[in-house]
Amino acid sequence: MKLVVLMKRLPDLVEDLEVDDSGKALDAEFLKFTLNEFDDHALEEALLLKEATGGELTVVAVDGEDVDKMLYTALAKGADTALKISGTGEIGSTSHLARIFTQSLADRSYDLILTGVQAADDRDGQLAPTVAAMIGAPCIEVVTGIEHEAGKLIVRKEYSGGVLAEFDVEPPAVLGIQAARQTPRYAPVSKVRQVQESATLETVTLAADTGKSFDIIRMTPPETGAGAEMLGGVDELVKVMESKGVL
Amino acid sequence: MLTTPEKIAFILLVLVCGALAFTGFRRIFQIVGRGKSAPRTDHLLARVTRALVDVGLQRPMFKARPWVSLFHAFIFFGFSFYLLVNINDILEAFVDGWSTIGGGPLASLFNLLSDVFSVFVLLGMILLLLRRFVQQPESLRFNPAVKLHPKVAQGWIKNDSLIVGVFILLHVGSRWLGTALHLAERGAGDPWLPTASVASRLFAGMSVGTLETGIHVCWWLAMGLIVLFLPYFPRSKHLHLMVAPVNLALDKRTPRGELEKVQDASHPGAATLTELPWPNILDSFACIMCNRCQDACPAHASGTSLSPAALEINKRYFINEHAAELAAGNGSASLLDFAITEEAVWSCTSCFACVRVCPVGNEPMTDIIALRRGMVFAGEMPDEVAEVLRSLDEKGNSFGDSARKRAKWTKPLDFKIPDARKEPVEYLWFVGDFASFDQQCQEVSRTVARILHQAGISFGILYEGERSAGNDVRRVGEEGLFEALAEHNLETLESCDFDKIFTTDPHTFNALKNDYGPYAGASQYDIVHYSSLLLELLRSGRITLAQPLDGRATYHDPCYLGRYNGGFDAPRGIIGACGVDLVEMPRNRENSFCCGAGGGRIWMKDQETLVERPSENRIREALELGEIDYFVVSCPKDLTMYRDAVKTSGNEGKIEVRDIVDLVADAMGLGEEEAVA
Repeated sequence: MKLVVLMKRLPDLVEDLEVDDSGKALDAEFLKFTLNEFDDHALEEALLLKEATGGELTVVAVDGEDVDKMLYTALAKGADTALKISGTGEIGSTSHLARIFTQSLADRSYDLILTGVQAADDRDGQLAPTVAAMIGAPCIEVVTGIEHEAGKLIVRKEYSGGVLAEFDVEPPAVLGIQAARQTPRYAPVSKVRQVQESATLETVTLAADTGKSFDIIRMTPPETGAGAEMLGGVDELVKVMESKGVL
Repeated sequence: MLTTPEKIAFILLVLVCGALAFTGFRRIFQIVGRGKSAPRTDHLLARVTRALVDVGLQRPMFKARPWVSLFHAFIFFGFSFYLLVNINDILEAFVDGWSTIGGGPLASLFNLLSDVFSVFVLLGMILLLLRRFVQQPESLRFNPAVKLHPKVAQGWIKNDSLIVGVFILLHVGSRWLGTALHLAERGAGDPWLPTASVASRLFAGMSVGTLETGIHVCWWLAMGLIVLFLPYFPRSKHLHLMVAPVNLALDKRTPRGELEKVQDASHPGAATLTELPWPNILDSFACIMCNRCQDACPAHASGTSLSPAALEINKRYFINEHAAELAAGNGSASLLDFAITEEAVWSCTSCFACVRVCPVGNEPMTDIIALRRGMVFAGEMPDEVAEVLRSLDEKGNSFGDSARKRAKWTKPLDFKIPDARKEPVEYLWFVGDFASFDQQCQEVSRTVARILHQAGISFGILYEGERSAGNDVRRVGEEGLFEALAEHNLETLESCDFDKIFTTDPHTFNALKNDYGPYAGASQYDIVHYSSLLLELLRSGRITLAQPLDGRATYHDPCYLGRYNGGFDAPRGIIGACGVDLVEMPRNRENSFCCGAGGGRIWMKDQETLVERPSENRIREALELGEIDYFVVSCPKDLTMYRDAVKTSGNEGKIEVRDIVDLVADAMGLGEEEAVA
C-alpha cells in the first residue's frame, strides 16, 4: 500500500504572535515554526499502517524555514520518501495549499492520503476534503484509527456526542486524522542527524502559477471585550440589581 | 600424613574438580568478553593498590549495615588466613613429619592465628546464618512487582547461601576439630592453640586408632570439601570473593557525574546482556546478592518494580542458565525479558545511591542508562518523556515554553542583570530550566540575583542564549539531544567573557562540570554551585548577615550536589552562618535519600505500583526529628518536590521548605521581594 502524508508547518503558538508592519501577515522575526500536531498524528497513523501492511510511505511538505528538519524527522521515524515542494510562492488559503499538494502528487501513484484533520490556520478542516475533491477520491474526516484486515481498510471516525462509526474504505481515499492510535513517536536526535547525512529529500518544483485564491486584506489580533465584572458578594449583587431597576 | 591411596584419591579429585572449575571460569571470562568495550585498563597500579586497600580494610563494606559488615570481616580475615592454613594442611598430608604443632616461634604464631581466626569465621558464619534463616530481615525480600528469575523466585539465593554457609562451617570447623584431635593424640594441649586445646579435652582417653581415623575424616572434610567446592564457585554467588576485588580494581575512574559516551551512535545503549559494556556483565559475577543497593534505592522504597539488586541477580541467573550459549556468542535475549521490567527502567532517578553503597563496586544504574539509551533510540519511552524531549529539542527547555521567555523571571527585579553575551562579567550564572521557568523557583532565582546585586558582585546571565544543560536528558538516555544541547551551550559560553560559572541547579552543575568535560576541549571552565559561591562571599565579608536567624532546620543533600560532586559542607556552612541550628536526618551526606526527581523522573507520572513517593518518605524522616522549622534545600527541583510532598503527605504547616538563599536573604535583612520591586 502506498501511503502519503501531507504535512504543514505552523507558527509555534508558545511564542507571542505579532502582526508585522504591512498589517497583513505575522511578524516573521518572532515566528518559530513547528509541525502541525494533527499532521504529526497523521504521520503516526501512517507509520503504524506501514508497519502493519509493509507499505511505502511518502511525506510531503511545502518548502520553508525548518521544513528540512521536519522532513528528516519524518524519515527518521520511518517514512521512506520525503518530498519538498518549492516554487509555490506565498500560500493564500487552504484550497490553494490543497491544489499545491495535488499538483505535486500528479506524477505519483498512491492509495491513501493522510493529513491532519485541522490546523491552527485551518480550523474548519478544509484541507483533506478539498484534496479529495481535487483528485476525485472519497474523504473521511475526524479519523481516530485505521485497521487493516484481510486487504481491507477499516477507518474509525468520531462523531460528537461520543458516537463512533466504522467505514470500510476502498483506496484511493483521503483521511483527515484527528488522533493516531498512539501518541506520535519521538525521533531521537542522533537518528535524525544520521538520516540527514545519509538520506536526501526529493524536490518537486511547481509551475509559477499555482492558482492563488484570495488575498489577505488585514490581519489583527482579536479585539478584547471589556470582560466580565466580578462581584464581591451578595451586597454588591443587590446594588447592581437595584441600579438596573430589577429590584 | 595421608595414606598412599588417600594421596592418589586427593590428586585425582583435584584434577577432576580443577578441570571442571577451569571450564566454568573460562566461560565466565568468555561471557564477560562478549560485552562492549569499556576503558578500564588505565592506571593499573593505582587500580590494584586501591582495590587491595579497600578489600584489605573491608572499607566498602562499612558504608552500610555495620554489624553484618563486622561479622563479614571476621569471615573475610579468617578465610584470607586460611589460604596459608590450607597450604600447610596439604604439606602436612603429603610431607612426612610436617607439623606446626610444637614448632618454633613462627609456627606457633601461625598456630595462634589459625586458632583465633577459626573461631572468628565460625562465629561470624553462625551469626550470618542466624540472620538469614532465623531473623529473615525484610531487606532480603523484593517488592512484589519486581521481576525475578524463576529460580530466584523459588528461593535459590537462600539455597546458595545455605550451601556456602554449611561449606564454610564444615571446612573451618573440621580443620579446627582436626587440630583438637591432633592435640588429643599428643596427649597435651598447646598454649598457642588455646581453643583447640580446650576442645581436645573432649577426646582425652580415646584410642590412638579412633583419633587417627578422626584426623583423617576431618582432613578430608576440610580439604576435600574445598576441592569439591571449586566447580561450584562459577555458579555460586560465593564467587564474589574472587570477582569482587577484580571488579573493584576495574571500577570507573572518571568522575561519578560523568556518564560514559555512546560508542556507536547508530546502535546506542543495550537491549541484551551482551550489548552491555563488559564491566556491567562482570558486575553480575561480583554481586553477592546482599540487597544493600535495593535498601538505598528510592524507587524500590516507593514500591516500584525497580530493584538494582534484582537486576544484577537476574543477569547472573540468566548467565548460569545459558552459560554455554553466551560464551559461544549466542543467547541474546532482551534484558527486558528476564532482568528488569520496563516500568523499572523508567523508575530510576539516577541518584547513584546503589552504585555508591555497593560493596563490590557494581554499577546497576549504568545498566539502566544503557537500556534507556537503546529504548529511546527505538522510540520506546513514556509519552511524557517523548513530549519533554520534543520540547527540549525544539525550544531548549523542558517546560515547553518559548526560548525567548527564559529570562522573563528577571522582569520584576528593579535592576537589570547584565547580559553575559554582551559584556564581561566576573560570574556567569547558568540559571537552568527549573530556576528559570518554574514559578516557585523563579522567586528563589530573584533572591539569588538580589543578594549578589546587593553585595556588588559582577554577574550576568545568558538570557535566551542559554538552553537546558541536558543533565536529565542524558540520563533518560537521549544522548543525541544531550550532545546537541551541550554543543549549543558550549558555543555560547565560548563567546562570552567571564571568570567563573555558577549554577543554581545541581543537575545543571553536574552537566557543566562533568558531562561537558569531554566536549569542552580546551575550555575547562571553573564551575561552582551557588552554595559554594554564597559561602565564599560570606567568608570574605562581601555579604554580611546583619540579622542572624534562630530556629531549627534540617538539610537535604541533593544527589547531584552531594553524592555526585561532594558538595556537602557549603550548604551546611551557610545554614550555620545564618544562625540556624542544623539537625541532621539519619540519611545524610553520601547516604542522602533522593527526592525522586532525578534522571528525568520529574517529567514522568507516578508509577502504578507507587506506595509512597520518595519525597514524602523524606518529609516523614524530617518530621521524625521533632520540632523542625525549616526543611532546607539547595536545588530548585527539591523546592518543588518537597513543597508538594509536604502538602500531599498532609503535613502542611508543620514544616517549611526553604532554599538556602532564602535564609541568607532573611539574615541579610534583604526584605520581601515586593518591597524591592
